[in-house]
Amino acid sequence: MKDWNENLKAVSRRHFLFESAAGIGAAALGTLLGSCSTKRSALEIAIDPMAPRSPHFPGKAKSVIYLHMAGAPSQLELFDFKPELQKLHDKPCPPSLLEGKRFAFIRGTPKMLGPQAKFQQHGDSGAWISDNLPHLSTLSDEISFLKCVSTDQFNHSPAQLLVHCGSPRLGRPSMGSWVTYGLGTENNNLPGFVVLTSGGKTPDAGKSVWGSGFLPSVYQGVQCRSEGEPVLYLNDANGVNRDLKKKMIDAINTVNQAQYEESGDPETLTRIHQYELAYRMQISVPKVMNINDEPDYIHQLYGTVPGTSSFANNCLLARKMVEQGVRFVQLFDWGWDTHGTDADGALDIGLRNKCREVDRATSALLLDLKQRGLLDQTLVVWGGEFGRTPMQENRENKLNPFFGRDHHTEAFTIWMAGGGIKKGVTYGETDEIGYYPVNGKVSLHDVQATILNRLGFDHEKLTYQYQGRPFRLTDVEGKVINEIII
Amino acid sequence: MQRITVFSVVLLSAILAGCQWQPKKVDFSTQIKPLINKNCITCHGGVKRNSNFSLLFHQDALDTAESGSPAIIPGDPDHSEMIRRLSLEDPEERMPFKKERLTKAEISLLRQWIKEGANWGDHWAYVPPVAIEIPEGEKVSGFSSDNTSAKNGIDYFIHKKLKEENLEPSSSASPAMLARRVYLDLIGMPPTMGQLDSYLNDKSPDAYDHLVDTLLASPRFGEKWASWWLDMARYSDTKGYERDVYRNIWRYRDWVIKAFNEDKPFDRFTIEQLAGDLLVNPSDDQMIATAFHRNTMNNDEGGTEDEEFRVAAVIDRVNTTMEVWQSTTMACVQCHSHPYDPFRHEDYYKLMAFFNDTRDEDTHGEHPKLRIYREDDEKKLESIREWVKNLSGEGKAEEVNRLLKTIEPKYHPHDFDSFINGELIDTKFLGIRNGGSARLKNIDLTGKAYLLINHSTKARNGSFEIRTDQLSGEVIASGRLDTTKGWSRTVMSIALKPTSGKHDLYFVFHNIKAKGENPVSDIEWFAFREDFFKGDANLDNEFITLLNKEVDNTPIMIENPPRQHRTTAVFERGNWLVKSAKVSPSVPKSLNPFPDGAPLNRLGLAQWLVASSNPLTSRTVVNRVWEQFFGAGLVETLEDFGTQGSVPSHPELLDWLSLRLMNDHHWSLKKLMKDIVISSTYRQDSKIDKEKLEKDPANKWLSRGARVRLSAEQVRDQALAVSGLLSNKMYGPGVMPYQPDGVWQSVYSAAKWQKSIGEDQFRRAVYTFQKRTSPYPSMITFDGSSREVCQVRRIRTNTPLQSLVTLNDPVYQEASIALAKRMLKSGKLLDDQIRTGYQLALLEDVSSRKLDALRNLYNEAINSYAENKKLKESLNKEGSIEEAAMTIVAAAILNLDETLTKS
Repeated sequence: MKDWNENLKAVSRRHFLFESAAGIGAAALGTLLGSCSTKRSALEIAIDPMAPRSPHFPGKAKSVIYLHMAGAPSQLELFDFKPELQKLHDKPCPPSLLEGKRFAFIRGTPKMLGPQAKFQQHGDSGAWISDNLPHLSTLSDEISFLKCVSTDQFNHSPAQLLVHCGSPRLGRPSMGSWVTYGLGTENNNLPGFVVLTSGGKTPDAGKSVWGSGFLPSVYQGVQCRSEGEPVLYLNDANGVNRDLKKKMIDAINTVNQAQYEESGDPETLTRIHQYELAYRMQISVPKVMNINDEPDYIHQLYGTVPGTSSFANNCLLARKMVEQGVRFVQLFDWGWDTHGTDADGALDIGLRNKCREVDRATSALLLDLKQRGLLDQTLVVWGGEFGRTPMQENRENKLNPFFGRDHHTEAFTIWMAGGGIKKGVTYGETDEIGYYPVNGKVSLHDVQATILNRLGFDHEKLTYQYQGRPFRLTDVEGKVINEIII
Repeated sequence: MQRITVFSVVLLSAILAGCQWQPKKVDFSTQIKPLINKNCITCHGGVKRNSNFSLLFHQDALDTAESGSPAIIPGDPDHSEMIRRLSLEDPEERMPFKKERLTKAEISLLRQWIKEGANWGDHWAYVPPVAIEIPEGEKVSGFSSDNTSAKNGIDYFIHKKLKEENLEPSSSASPAMLARRVYLDLIGMPPTMGQLDSYLNDKSPDAYDHLVDTLLASPRFGEKWASWWLDMARYSDTKGYERDVYRNIWRYRDWVIKAFNEDKPFDRFTIEQLAGDLLVNPSDDQMIATAFHRNTMNNDEGGTEDEEFRVAAVIDRVNTTMEVWQSTTMACVQCHSHPYDPFRHEDYYKLMAFFNDTRDEDTHGEHPKLRIYREDDEKKLESIREWVKNLSGEGKAEEVNRLLKTIEPKYHPHDFDSFINGELIDTKFLGIRNGGSARLKNIDLTGKAYLLINHSTKARNGSFEIRTDQLSGEVIASGRLDTTKGWSRTVMSIALKPTSGKHDLYFVFHNIKAKGENPVSDIEWFAFREDFFKGDANLDNEFITLLNKEVDNTPIMIENPPRQHRTTAVFERGNWLVKSAKVSPSVPKSLNPFPDGAPLNRLGLAQWLVASSNPLTSRTVVNRVWEQFFGAGLVETLEDFGTQGSVPSHPELLDWLSLRLMNDHHWSLKKLMKDIVISSTYRQDSKIDKEKLEKDPANKWLSRGARVRLSAEQVRDQALAVSGLLSNKMYGPGVMPYQPDGVWQSVYSAAKWQKSIGEDQFRRAVYTFQKRTSPYPSMITFDGSSREVCQVRRIRTNTPLQSLVTLNDPVYQEASIALAKRMLKSGKLLDDQIRTGYQLALLEDVSSRKLDALRNLYNEAINSYAENKKLKESLNKEGSIEEAAMTIVAAAILNLDETLTKS
């Protein structure tokens, strides 16, 4: 990756451009309204850091849709069925589970809390899924479940950073940035790394979870929005329509071309190209963000309502994006922090509502990708930033008014489906109350290594030289989870 | 030089280098260290020491390895295991293990090195610069149109390299180009046409000199350079992490602006920021300077342990200090010895020990803070201080002063344990219910007469008592808890029964009226104080009144008093929960010694950084200042001077400037900058011809002037300046210019982007409100820092999203509208109007080709608006079609490559 890395710096870009600088302006201008050619010249790669690149080996997946349930959904009410926990319901937690442990909110001796959902086995794989997710239950044979993902962060913000940036502290690039840095994008008219949020809030760790850290800022996630401008500053300014905008860009670029001939700086040619790209983006982004023209059966499948902002809409948008060649689509849905301090945070009220909001749409996304033949090349990941305790939360050492669980780091469930993932596999098993892993424990770095592997990367080799050393997403850890990959 | 047996490879390289027939000794730093870093260090370095053999330090390399003998025997390559293992055929035994073998030439070089004694060389950056003579011997010409010689030392060094690289310098830039460049570089904005004219009309030989002096004296100077420093200081108006709420720390930003404007010498600048609180009788300004290290993040998320994030902040301070002043990356030494550079694992924690003994503890209230009283209250404080001084001496007066100015030392709710019927509310405030209790351990009560308590409660008749050593222990204090209104809090003073020695204190709370599970009160902090006023009730009253004043404040650094001293231990593999050996403060052995007589605290550390024997500080600052002018540092990796960083392009120049900064300029950055901008090197034309592009694409050898895109701040400031909208208002809380709706959606925060009114919309970018988890979008698009962690280098990118900002952001449209009005007023003829617009932005005459393009755009816009009245009205309802069309031309001018570029 080193050469590529160097390419990013204006240094070699300038050098490169010189080689065939003559005529580039005209060539670039010529593509202004032309179609997007699939094969780019080396020159175009040099001026365009987002141009497609080959990974270390042929990847099984071409793009990723990562569905993050921000706040951390309870594995014990969704996937990790623990009948023994029901028997312990309302009994005081044995001291052995508490000794030497740090919790966010549990204090003193909490009570055990039985599962607040009904479970059944589904499909040929016999995966346990609760009645909170009736639609997803029908797709159990498409999915690989990781039941023993562990983390060492029990606060939302650092835990989300660890999931997406490989470190609980700020300053590192996010997964989508690494992927676009490594692969570029297949559609230059759209951002390579798109972020869609629902639930009314950005995730706890803010925009840092899609930041580019020390990578060039061109690799940061671009937030696309269902309300307001689809991308910030995408709409033409007042008094400017498409036609006038094109004339403006033509004039700007004519002056820039003259400037290039005077000053000889290849960077000017790059700018000419960027203005053309911006013009095209203004057309293609609203198009991909518009779901009005989707057929009725698609809206019924997802439960989408055009003109609103919802997780369902975002799932449909994610499908449209990967269809258009976006590399990494990151969805965050906020509102999964079920402590039991209020009805919204109750396992038997708030969690059920959140499940209703996402179950149909998530399942629709898998089905829709499948029917379009895209599931095989699209890796779909679903999960939170940690799990929830088998104990009932007793914040400030008093019983919470609703059934809720505290943050839990030892074991929680993440599932993957699609691009290069085995179908109907459950990997990892927790103890009989869902507290510790018994076997198949994996770390978040393992999950990241697996995602990168499916895209064709050796996670130890996808590095960026910074502060005198090569950095990578998986820090100094990470092992590909071979048990769930094809 | 000692004559040695000539090995073919050395000989060959000697010939190739064009040297005379006197082979050089192998140089460790340039020839051996890179080989080691590339092939050996991963397994035999600071992280792994396979077979107990490491090549990180000289001593380690010569030590007995696992085999029982050393791998390197100086002078004897034939018996050195290292050479044997490199030369083997068997891949199971050959080194590098299971990797491509070294070439014969590389092995020969290593043999030769061992034969010559396996001498260790020091990496350039760790050897202090030595006095260098300016290479004046040769005639330096070609730098300027009149072919005069070099302007100062810089030019000689640059010229020497140019000759070696077979490059010719460029002639001088046109006066207008040079003026725009030096304005942008020194004050961050282009000149007005009037300013340009007065420069052009100044026919004195030192007109340029005068211009430079004027710019250095401009208040705008500090604003420009503050932007540069604030990235490193990770200055932000919010705390970071989940809640990311407001932090009132803008006075630090203003301190930086003022420090640059008054040209505070860099050594003072350093000492005040790192240790202003430890100076004798520090002024408020010196205390505010210490907010440099209060710019670390603070985690308010519910359920977070303050100690974890206090430690995270301290770690950030170690890393930031070393990065900002030493261009050294210490982050990896947190977990193990540095993989490449001479820093040991313990070094990290010894450095950390300097920073680990401060009062700030990741509390929600961001204590300690400097309380900034109104003038009349400040006078009262002063009279209380005087009174105590007269009665009990300076020491007690300082204690009173510190309590009133900072409320330190104090205790926080997280210092309590053994909770009964109560807990920390939101893991922040002490909330004990009726009859419940909590313990504060090991408090020295000797001499303490009162307890200060900051609390808030709505329930009447709450009370508490303090018992010593056990729940049923002696009551040494009891008191009622006053009710408070709304969100307000109150500070109460409760008398303590005189008690000596250290005790565990049990705080027991009562209020039968506290409903259900409501705590009796919620308490933010406690402090113990002496009887300063010896029974003078008036003074006591005044003291409490002052403590209860709602005042503005700024987070600052304060050292722990002895009774709250914190020890530092090495964290095993960087894990803060697993502590091993205790360490005390000291600096890495591989750098300069700690200054004689300096205190072993942050003040001493700051003095060590600016000691003339420190090899890194002055080079670091010279390199970064240089980068601001030329677009790249003399060492390209601004953040890393280690062995993995870039090597200096002009090592002698770097050292010459570093010594000049310390010895001749006494750390004056303005004088350093003047050296730079006065040089002929700086004043060259930036035009790039084919030859220069071929030989020096990145302009590393500086055969032409710099040509780089403007910074995020400059892009905004320039648009506002050129259009005449810019406000010159300085200082104060962050402002909120236009930002699209719905950008801020932080969890658990009701904070909103409230668009500023009046001139505050048009302030310079340095005053824009900085929110860490949601940075001002247009700034971040132009590679601005999100200010989460220290950033010493912005990598410039060129993206379509940047074009969208300057084309569509209403901020830029407003600038275009204003610029268009100026253009229309400037003359009657269309061409003159366009010419003016171009000149306002670029300070030069527009060429006919460019004028044609812009005139053409104007005519097309006229046609569009004539056909489409609605379109015109959406731009301006009242204005003319001409004005609307001119706005489009103005927008185009603000979007030109040359406008966005410093050339």
